[in-house]
Amino acid sequence: VRVAIEQRFGPLDEWRSLRGLFTGLAALGLVVLVVLALTTDRFLSVENIKAILSSASIVGIMALGLTFITLIGSLVSLAIAATAVMGAMVFLAELHLGLVPALAISMAAGAVVTALQGLIIGAWGANPVILTIGAGFLLSGITTKASNGVIVQPTGGGWSTLNSTPLGVPVGVYVMVALALLFQFVLKRTVLGRRITLIGENRDAARAAGMRIPRLTAIAFAVAGASFALGGAFLGAFNKGASAQLEGTSTFDVIAAVLVGGTLISGGRGSALRTLAGAIVIATISDLLLLRGFDTGAQILLKGVLVVVVVLATWVASRREGAA
Amino acid sequence: MSARSRAARRLRPETVVPVLSFAVVLAAFLLTPVYHDHTLSDFDVFNTLQGFASLGLIALALGLTIIAGEFDVSVLGMQALGGVLAVKAGASSGVLGILAATAGCAFLGALQGGAIARLRIQSMPVTIGTYIALLGLTNVVAGNETLTFSNTDASIWINQTVASFFSPRSLIALAVFALVMLVCGATRIGPELRALGGDRRASRVVGIPVDRRLTALFGVSGALAGLAGAMLAYSNASASLNPGLQPLVLAAAAAVLGGLSLRGGRGAIWGLLLGALAVSLLEQVFTITALPTSSAQIVFGSLLLVVVVVDAPDLRSSLARLQARRTSMRQISPQVKPKAQRS
Repeated sequence: VRVAIEQRFGPLDEWRSLRGLFTGLAALGLVVLVVLALTTDRFLSVENIKAILSSASIVGIMALGLTFITLIGSLVSLAIAATAVMGAMVFLAELHLGLVPALAISMAAGAVVTALQGLIIGAWGANPVILTIGAGFLLSGITTKASNGVIVQPTGGGWSTLNSTPLGVPVGVYVMVALALLFQFVLKRTVLGRRITLIGENRDAARAAGMRIPRLTAIAFAVAGASFALGGAFLGAFNKGASAQLEGTSTFDVIAAVLVGGTLISGGRGSALRTLAGAIVIATISDLLLLRGFDTGAQILLKGVLVVVVVLATWVASRREGAA
Repeated sequence: MSARSRAARRLRPETVVPVLSFAVVLAAFLLTPVYHDHTLSDFDVFNTLQGFASLGLIALALGLTIIAGEFDVSVLGMQALGGVLAVKAGASSGVLGILAATAGCAFLGALQGGAIARLRIQSMPVTIGTYIALLGLTNVVAGNETLTFSNTDASIWINQTVASFFSPRSLIALAVFALVMLVCGATRIGPELRALGGDRRASRVVGIPVDRRLTALFGVSGALAGLAGAMLAYSNASASLNPGLQPLVLAAAAAVLGGLSLRGGRGAIWGLLLGALAVSLLEQVFTITALPTSSAQIVFGSLLLVVVVVDAPDLRSSLARLQARRTSMRQISPQVKPKAQRS
């Protein structure tokens, strides 16, 4: 058996040593993090923990949605920021109808736009990364045109509710945690979630089992799109306005949160709670670096390195499991 | 080889697509005086080639990995890092700056290529991570602010007009294309790249040193993107810290218009050249007609959507099924000429 495995995956000892390397790296990282946390002034204060959670919330909400796309085996979307900006604009423009209708319309718009992409990817096997770059570009162009290049202002007062802090914690944090629990339940305990996971794990088997891959992919993308728009609405409320400038680096922040959570990039393995953890870990590290006086460049660099290491480690772990 | 199979070979998508897309865009370019009040001048060609100098090299960096069945998102980060490295190292000597950018990015590219090859992991997620890390590194190297390039001699030299259409910058880009074309055409590297993209396992079985090739491939990809960033920074006399997604969108469009398949294993360097020239010409047409950025975004976004759908594997198989059904129906009917059975 060992010979057969080694023929396929390379020498087992090599995999073991790699796994050891990554475990060592992870342990080292954790120790460094804890030591830094304990020795940094103001880090372990309630105020700071609230600050970490609130800075994780918007990225976290969008990342929870992206988890569905990654799980079903469609890698990632590169249209996240563009969809979020559209969500923010629609939300602010429809606020005159009231908070809940505006949120609903915004999320529905995000869901439809993203579900269409999912339908094409699921039905024809189009390359998800290129398709979503194209869709994101198209969407940015359309939203810039629709808003005439000016900042979209809120048409009602509901936006301030999204910025409020009941019990001292921002609404976004409650929404992020609630969404994480809801998505965790959907992914692990419902037929829909299990189907999405199976498609990501083994597309051919799912097809053979008669699953409607295009429809399920569209649903996964719709959930993601609604989450991007919801995150966008918070972003718009926070900035009390929306323009293309809002895009920033959110696409890659959201992808980083999902990947750092340890969801397998090729799909089929991962969870909403992992993504929640990923978003919080990134926010914690950024916060630590900020308190320690490091600049944005160092924060981005560390985030990227973290993504690479976790992606490789998750991959090695899953291969090792497959080989055992 | 019969005349028929030679004709079929000439009509393969990697031949037809680049020629057709280049011809269409060239026509649009040449017809600008008709639909827009503008007289074409040498400068329009010059400017197209200036655009090509960045876009072409990025398209080549990305395209080589696409042919081998990979996808290097980190070209965006390499371009940014290359610009900053060149501006930093090229203050006294322009050549030194270019060398530093190219070598630095080649090293980092080979490093990630080695990891991708050894772990046999998909390159897209890894390169998304390295892209983020490279943007961070670029910020750190530049000290978080846009750098201006003090070596004006180098800026002037690289932008000067040569033979009315060219500049040293676009000539270097064209020379790099020629070199890559030569290497891929005259050695086994070209067919090996396509083999890597077509069937990775079979490539290993027939003895292609897959890991070494992938390491080198990502090294070359990094070097090309770094070179593009360096020359762009010289040309603009400043290095931007974040190029945005636009270069990747244009490069992906150039690759697909160049007849490459996003699934790997198909495409030629000359096709990629035509694809990159087509996209550069299109950009120049947009410049001439003063199209707003948002409209250009809509055009490039739609273009990418259309090509990615046309390239989608299952769309093709469903169309092929449809065609097969039609062909078999035609074969039953009496009009069929026996000639079709010859080969």
